[in-house]
Amino acid sequence: MKITLRIMFWILLGLGSGLAQQERFRKSPPIPEPLLRPELPKIEAMRLQNGLVVAVVPRPDQPFISLELVILAGESRSPRRLPGLASFTAEMLSRGTPLVSAADLEERIDAIGGDFSTTTTPDFSRFSFHFLSGFLDQALGILSLMVLQPDFSNREVAALIRTKFYDLKQKLRDPEFVGRRQLLRVLFNDHPYLQFLYSEDVIKNLTRKDIQGFYESYYRPNNALIVLAGNLDLGIAARRVSHFFNLWQMKDIAEALLPSPPANTVDRFCFVDLPQAKEATLVLGNLISPLAEPDYYPLGVLNQVLGGTPFSRLFMNLREAKQYAYSAFSQVGFFRACGYYAVTAQVIPPASGPSIREIKRELERISREKVSNFELEQAKSYLIGQFPIRIARLDELSRQVSELLAFSVVDSRWSRFLENITQVDADMIFEVAQKYLLPKPVVVIVGDKDMLLDQLRELDRLEVYDLKGVLLYTLIKGVEG
Amino acid sequence: MLKNRSGAWVLILFFASLGSSAAQEEPGFSFSFTRFTLKNGLEVILSADETLPLVSVVLAYQAGSIHEQPGKTGLALLLENMMFMGSLNVGPMQHIGYINRVGGEPNASTSEDVTYFYQTVPANQLALVLWLESDRMKALELDASKAERAKQSLIEEITQRKAAEPYLDSLLAFDRLLYPDFAHGHSILGREEDILGLEAEDIRAFYATYYAPSNAVLVVVGDFDIDRTRELVEKYFETIAPGRKPPLFLPPRPPEKKEVVQAFQDSLVPSPAFHLGYRIASPYSRDYYVLAVIDYLLFHGKSARLYRKLVKREGLALFVSGGIEKRKDMAVLKLFAMNNNETMVELSQKSILSEFNKLRTYEASAEELAKAKSLLKRDYLNRLASPPERAMFLAEMFFSPVGLDALPDQLPKYMRIGPNEIRLAAGRYLTPENSVILNVKLK
Repeated sequence: MKITLRIMFWILLGLGSGLAQQERFRKSPPIPEPLLRPELPKIEAMRLQNGLVVAVVPRPDQPFISLELVILAGESRSPRRLPGLASFTAEMLSRGTPLVSAADLEERIDAIGGDFSTTTTPDFSRFSFHFLSGFLDQALGILSLMVLQPDFSNREVAALIRTKFYDLKQKLRDPEFVGRRQLLRVLFNDHPYLQFLYSEDVIKNLTRKDIQGFYESYYRPNNALIVLAGNLDLGIAARRVSHFFNLWQMKDIAEALLPSPPANTVDRFCFVDLPQAKEATLVLGNLISPLAEPDYYPLGVLNQVLGGTPFSRLFMNLREAKQYAYSAFSQVGFFRACGYYAVTAQVIPPASGPSIREIKRELERISREKVSNFELEQAKSYLIGQFPIRIARLDELSRQVSELLAFSVVDSRWSRFLENITQVDADMIFEVAQKYLLPKPVVVIVGDKDMLLDQLRELDRLEVYDLKGVLLYTLIKGVEG
Repeated sequence: MLKNRSGAWVLILFFASLGSSAAQEEPGFSFSFTRFTLKNGLEVILSADETLPLVSVVLAYQAGSIHEQPGKTGLALLLENMMFMGSLNVGPMQHIGYINRVGGEPNASTSEDVTYFYQTVPANQLALVLWLESDRMKALELDASKAERAKQSLIEEITQRKAAEPYLDSLLAFDRLLYPDFAHGHSILGREEDILGLEAEDIRAFYATYYAPSNAVLVVVGDFDIDRTRELVEKYFETIAPGRKPPLFLPPRPPEKKEVVQAFQDSLVPSPAFHLGYRIASPYSRDYYVLAVIDYLLFHGKSARLYRKLVKREGLALFVSGGIEKRKDMAVLKLFAMNNNETMVELSQKSILSEFNKLRTYEASAEELAKAKSLLKRDYLNRLASPPERAMFLAEMFFSPVGLDALPDQLPKYMRIGPNEIRLAAGRYLTPENSVILNVKLK
């Protein structure tokens, strides 16, 4: 009986829905409830006697601790003749001490449910350590062994050279990586940030002595900070960190001279051959303001309007309207001395030329006309909504906080981030667009030479580079060869 | 503790001490959820977490490649893509637009037996997600021109994946050997000729059969009011017709126990390689938990046995990876290794077999076992520690053969495994008659 009634109910409902209008609430999106401002975990920090900064982001709900150790010396500190040295030194740290082998360190990390990785940027090297929360002492013990007693044995140096060579070779399969690296090589020119863009063959020249020298110079507590996120407070963290790192000796470190490199102002087209690539990858970009400048906020909103999502101008134009591209996005990146914007598009090869023209037209348009109120609010809404989502995972939270501390921008980028984004208006976007997008961008095209070069011969001047960033030759319109 | 009735609350508590005696503190980790069933059969799971003002929503349908018929492969993935191409009140691609505009992240994935649609948004936009998901569950707009576009884009996706993953073709061939029946063995990606032959009517029929409330689970995790959320869920979903009951999935007969060794010639791969697999105990059966720990001993972490032996110590392989794979009622242990030359392929296989022989003969040390369990525990808790991961995990557990009722005892089950059980399970499953080897040779 019960079953029969239920069937009848659905039959009637089905008939009803066929005959009558659908429910009114289905016709349009619901009105959102008021946006809740996130109550961000408070970042507490203190400096230990040897100069090491310890910061804590409490997340008592978490069964893990995420630790970030940041050494404030990145690839820009690598000597000019030894690009890649900073990143190589960072990776060597987990490869054993005189008494504890690399294999033994790996065992110890695994035993605490640990996940350990290193990242080197132009400005700093970061060691990320995520582990089960009951093992704080073990984790700090392992980290202190790595940081205070690294061995840099010749055997491990040779092993890492092999691994890194292979990893870098693998990355060359990715045309976006190749294109972005070439763009930044041109933009950074002879700035120390160029050291960040090394190719696989240069690391073969690194020796134990070079690594030891870099370590002695920069791996100092007064040039470092540790962030711990998880179920702990600053008092406990500072005591435990101090216990394991109090023998780490301070040393004066000369401040890095990092002028802001100048933006590109002339037409430059660069080509990198990637045989058998089915698509053409375009990367256009130029330099913008450094991370700590107030232009950061309008630039962030501008990026959203221009190419941050599939609903931004670039995607809608190049993919949806013109059908030139599989994807078209923009991004902004920020360092201590400068930032950069890059538009990246994967396009069908015959549409390479028209796509470059369309991207340039979009850069021009956003620099000549103020963005509409709708686009402005949409972009701000995205950035505001993203903020808590980006810190939902504990490792992402600790990573972001460590970067803010490394660049000394905690106040503006943490507790006042949402307020600062809210205040961005169309005038501010117009101003930064004129300032940074009007200078001519560098254009990099990556793809199969046989498929692309003929149509690119229309350009007045095309610089052709190899994968290592060496200029092979320049094609000049009307000149054979 | 867990009752399968409307609105029952379940509190899950894990203690850090499980299987990790060396831990200095004993902090616990807990979360709770409640579940109820709508009149049309839609199962709903709510798990509140007020840490940050966001919500993660997963709507999962029991629909995957396993439900496809011969000649109609690729249908499940095609429909997943078409779910973003518009429904009665939401224009093509507007689903992504609505979510992106509020800072959210929409996505979807298709497995062999379940298709997941998931998004994380600011907490005040929960109703928006429910509106969007209910619209495409109730009235997806399917027509021939959309189907054509979706087919072309899926074929492009397959071409791109094959270009980016040179061993993909050999992997698909290996799967057909490892799972000899059609349902389990064919690829989620589908065959190009099948995809080209799919018609809007095929997609419509698959949608009508599998994308129904009574074949789905809705999971919401994050910062929300339970009563208000229940009201919203009822408002948007309860009047959707339950749909017809999907045909019962009949598990195939287990494959014949016999060692299989075959070769696959490929001109696009950079170096010789091989795939090795073992058919093991079905997911969540008693031996499955033991085999999961074996998986961690062999493959997980930088000190895992096979990576250390083959890549680091003996230098026989350039790369080795592996682990357990579940396809509804079947599970396999899979391994893939890349080598410099054919001799290294042969030596690698001998080295692996000797390691398996060791597993069958000697008990793992207490330290090694504790290490494997710590890594397993980390990965398990990672899947519960933030709203997006927890929402996916709860949906996955709901459709697992043991269901959500088994959740409180899952981690303890892994943690209780002892060295003798490992030795015995290795002896039962990691044997030649359960194995399949596909050697990938340069053409």
